Amino acid sequence: MRLNRDKIIVFLLDNLIWVLLTIAVVTFALLSDRFLTSKNLVNILVHSSVLGIMVIGQSFCQLSGNFDLSAESILGLAAILGAFVIAPAGAPFFGSGLQLNPILTVLIMFVLGILVGWINGFLVTRMKMNNFIVTLAMLIIIRGLTLVFSEGKTITGIPQGFKALGHESLGPLPISVIVLLIAFAVAFVITRYTRFGRDLYAIGGNRDAALASGIDPNRRIRQVYLISGLMAAFAAWMELGRLGVGATRIGEGMIFEIQAAAVIGGISLFGGRGNMIGALGGVLLLSTFNSGLNLMMVSGFWIDMIRGIIILLAMLIDAQKTRYKAPVTSQAAVVASESQGL
Amino acid sequence: MTKINRVIPFLLNNLIWFLLIGIMIFFTLTAENFLTPGNFLNILFNASVLGVMVIGQSFTLLTGNFDLSAESILGLCGLMGIWLITSAGAPYYGSGGELPVWVSILIILSIGVLIGLINGFLITKMKVNNFVVTLAMLITIRGLTLVINNGQTSYSISEAYNWLGLGKIAQVPVPVIVVLVLFALTYIITTYTPFGREIFAIGANRNAAMASGVRPDRRIIQVYMISGLLAAFAGWMLSARLTNAMSSMGKGMIFEVMAAAVIGGISLKGGQGSLIGALGGVLLLTTIGAGLNLMNVSVFWIQVIRGVIILVAMIVEAQKVRYMAPSVNASQKPILASRQPSGD
Amino acid sequence: MTEQTAPTEYIVEIKGISKNFPGVRALDQVDFNLLPGELRGLVGKNGAGKSTLMNVLTGIYPSDAGEIAIAGKPFSLMTTTISRQMGIACVHQHSQLIPPLSIAENVFCGNLPVNRIGFVDWNRIYRETDERLSRLGLAIDSRRKVEGLSVAERQIIEIAKALFADARVIILDEATAPLPKSEVEMLFNFVRRQREKGVAFIYISHYLEEIFDLCDTVTVMKDGKNLGDYKVANLTQADLIRLISGAEVERFKHTSNARDAVVMEIQDLTRPGSYSNLSLTFREGEIVGLTGLEGCGKDALARGLFGMEPLGSGRVSIKGNSYHASDTRQAFNQGVAYLPRDRHGYGIVGLRPIRENVTLPILADLVNPTQLLDTRKEINLVTKLTQKLNVKATSIEQPVLNLSGGNQQKVVFAKLTSTNPKLLLLDEPTQGVDVQAKVEIMKIIDQLSQEGAAVVVISEEIRELLDICDRIVVMFKGKLIAEFQTNSPDTTVERILHAVEGTVQAL
Repeated sequence: MRLNRDKIIVFLLDNLIWVLLTIAVVTFALLSDRFLTSKNLVNILVHSSVLGIMVIGQSFCQLSGNFDLSAESILGLAAILGAFVIAPAGAPFFGSGLQLNPILTVLIMFVLGILVGWINGFLVTRMKMNNFIVTLAMLIIIRGLTLVFSEGKTITGIPQGFKALGHESLGPLPISVIVLLIAFAVAFVITRYTRFGRDLYAIGGNRDAALASGIDPNRRIRQVYLISGLMAAFAAWMELGRLGVGATRIGEGMIFEIQAAAVIGGISLFGGRGNMIGALGGVLLLSTFNSGLNLMMVSGFWIDMIRGIIILLAMLIDAQKTRYKAPVTSQAAVVASESQGL
Repeated sequence: MTKINRVIPFLLNNLIWFLLIGIMIFFTLTAENFLTPGNFLNILFNASVLGVMVIGQSFTLLTGNFDLSAESILGLCGLMGIWLITSAGAPYYGSGGELPVWVSILIILSIGVLIGLINGFLITKMKVNNFVVTLAMLITIRGLTLVINNGQTSYSISEAYNWLGLGKIAQVPVPVIVVLVLFALTYIITTYTPFGREIFAIGANRNAAMASGVRPDRRIIQVYMISGLLAAFAGWMLSARLTNAMSSMGKGMIFEVMAAAVIGGISLKGGQGSLIGALGGVLLLTTIGAGLNLMNVSVFWIQVIRGVIILVAMIVEAQKVRYMAPSVNASQKPILASRQPSGD
Repeated sequence: MTEQTAPTEYIVEIKGISKNFPGVRALDQVDFNLLPGELRGLVGKNGAGKSTLMNVLTGIYPSDAGEIAIAGKPFSLMTTTISRQMGIACVHQHSQLIPPLSIAENVFCGNLPVNRIGFVDWNRIYRETDERLSRLGLAIDSRRKVEGLSVAERQIIEIAKALFADARVIILDEATAPLPKSEVEMLFNFVRRQREKGVAFIYISHYLEEIFDLCDTVTVMKDGKNLGDYKVANLTQADLIRLISGAEVERFKHTSNARDAVVMEIQDLTRPGSYSNLSLTFREGEIVGLTGLEGCGKDALARGLFGMEPLGSGRVSIKGNSYHASDTRQAFNQGVAYLPRDRHGYGIVGLRPIRENVTLPILADLVNPTQLLDTRKEINLVTKLTQKLNVKATSIEQPVLNLSGGNQQKVVFAKLTSTNPKLLLLDEPTQGVDVQAKVEIMKIIDQLSQEGAAVVVISEEIRELLDICDRIVVMFKGKLIAEFQTNSPDTTVERILHAVEGTVQAL
């Protein structure tokens, strides 16, 4: 019997996010009649898209047991850089005047993301520095570079075609939402069904054991930092489309939300635990709360307060899952002949 | 031990001071007016608020805990300090309560302590991860700060209130005196009192401390209360110096605080570090900022360079740890590095 | 023309291996031969070379001289890859499994099979793992997450993992240190069954009773040399100890220092789930042994008395006064001190110096009128204590982590004695400590009883208890089941073992 109860508890804990999401949706639907409209639901998804892409990148890192706090700054710098190369020069645009074509611009943004990701990976794996500190420092540095680069000015005049990713729709669904769902689906398949993905879980769960099994943790960690950087650049492209302009403070402070969504969605801070579908759930839950509370005309403070409480609860649960210590004695009949009283 | 063996650990342990001296030499050569008493006072002045925050953070870091909420406590208490004593509406946008300064100070310091108490309680009795609790508190308290004055800045025209930030004692700015005194006091407390000794023990091995008669829960709650108190105090100091308080005051400061503490040698894992070193970290960061300013480097570049310094400091710290790693009985065994030395 | 050597039947043949580290000769022309299916114990003191020899065999260290042949194939240079490929596997004290993942994924870690599309084939993974496990006689679902397994189960899975990789020689390196006796038996049964398939085991341990329990033969190493391989049946434990330490190690002879005065009286102590209706008396100068199976309540009692866990209901008095300790501070204040079983987790603050470790419980006694610590007083006290206990260290400023296991334990003793305890509760005081230090610790315990403290020694090493205690109390499933006077002729290891297992033999 004890085994069954443990199984149920574990199942609930692993899929808690969907339980919570359902409760939240139902609650808000009851509290506000504007909640369950297709317009609002699509809105929630749109607001989830940039955050969602960032959470994918973060989740890859987190599964292997590493933080990438610099992601929000990569987002900011890539956005400014992209806007800069594509916008016309002079006021009121403040672009470079190069006015490169959109594809080239996106490529440049991706290269930036990959470059910063490479630096992060290098510092963490080859210089053996603590990932929290390194990415924290990079967060500060990159944000500073962004400020230097943009000189505080907002860049406008971004061509329509470039903004399509963040702005246009395919039928009823915005492109960004479609991309979001595809991205999570792909990420899920990678983490569950590829060796690369499973290696991440192994490294996050017990790095030494992974090493002893022939996995190269450092190589994988460098790879996830590249992915995180790339995702941040991709999110920058989406955000430029959504916002319409290149604002200097894009992404500032986003790191908290990203971490919160990941942890709420079950990606453990300790590594080796959680899945992408859950992470998507975490993103949706946060957006749902934002939307629902807004519709109910709840003031900003309360939203922050509730968000804080949700984060707390999520991490409390996360800590419970990982606090599970090995029982001292065996429960199950491990050895077939044990029952014969050998 | 040979002479060389003595020199290197000495260098590494006091690295921060050598760096500081090196930086000062560099700026003396490259920036105008660096080597003036006026500039030094300026540096200390700018270092004061950061210094108080770092002291508070050091207490929690030594026990192996983070207090991410400190910057929000600074913001809330700095704002409330002015808000409570000021008239409502334009041009000062206070609460209208117009309380006496000492009452306001008492209230905000109590709030700081109270928040620290809540943090400590959640972490020790409710057993929630300290990173999470203080992160949630950071977000929540900042939210509260935004709501209190509807985002409007509050202005202080009270000389009594502003004295902490702008006053002088014998030509020396009050904040400078305060921060130096606090560092000295804290150094003594952490090095020479049972309380300080227990703090280190808890950070190094909480269970072993508990089995040695220490009450870790009580101490941890106490350090969070101290951190909250000092953050509130820093809020008063900062808003007094600026004579106003914005609801975004202190936002993002937590990174600098952590950086200064870590650069100064306070281990993030707990149980190791010195307040003197932390002071060195504060001075280093502030000096670099000041020096670069004198060289007319843009504010944004200064931020970038600050980040680079943190990185470099971390690289050095990592190398230092590797160099000074304790060796286990005579020869052997890299593979046993992750195992405990037993009676093999 | 080279001399024809008979084809060897050894699975591992090591000839003349030497290994030097700066300033130390770790291995000195060691020979080591192992037959398939052999259960070989490997014993020796701290630094004797056991782990170094295994590191050479598994390719972690290159040897400076000598050769290794595995299954008849000679290698002049051994690498980790070759070693693994040739079937040498090692199971350590610290788990090499990944807790949040399933058993199956752990087994296939690094080697996940993929289907035609290139995706991980989960069905195949679970199916094959279940098959292999059942072939080993293990009835366990491979979908279970490792984190739900007990420590012994995890070790079994690690051995299973090695066996799946066609290991021919499995090295168990101090694998049983964290395990209670019942779990150790389960592990040993599993190991014994594998030998029928020709798998050889090398068992490194300083639990000599286990060597006698499990192994056919034992190799003794000392100062980097192989002193010889012996058949276990031909040795006694005394022989083995003598070989390991190279000298006639004195069997510690304890004479009772017990006085009449009562230190602690426990009446009807009950804590649901741990123990019930315990009544015990501890007198000044007495050394009482407390033994029983894992989970019998002996260490729960100690931790309860010390304030680390709830004590339960009942009456406890110390020196006539009612005793209540809801935390360790109160326990110390009333004169009770506890030596934890888990030295690294609960005993020492490794990063801090010896001096700080020793005075941690008595800081309040070392302050000036100014409330600051009197460093000179502290240094004097600690120097005196560490000298008295013969702690070997470069200075009292040395971090405790740098000391050997035995010296670390002495530091913990110093800490406890600094509080002038009336009652000492020692939980496995000689665990993880080499043979010389064991005797020294027994002398310390004896000295403490001479000075008037009541000492309770909790241990599963019955022979050691017989050496040091005045009487031995046995617990079974939370109840006191038997008591033995050590110097009575009716007290035998056998009778005590029976009591431990729950049956009290009539005389």
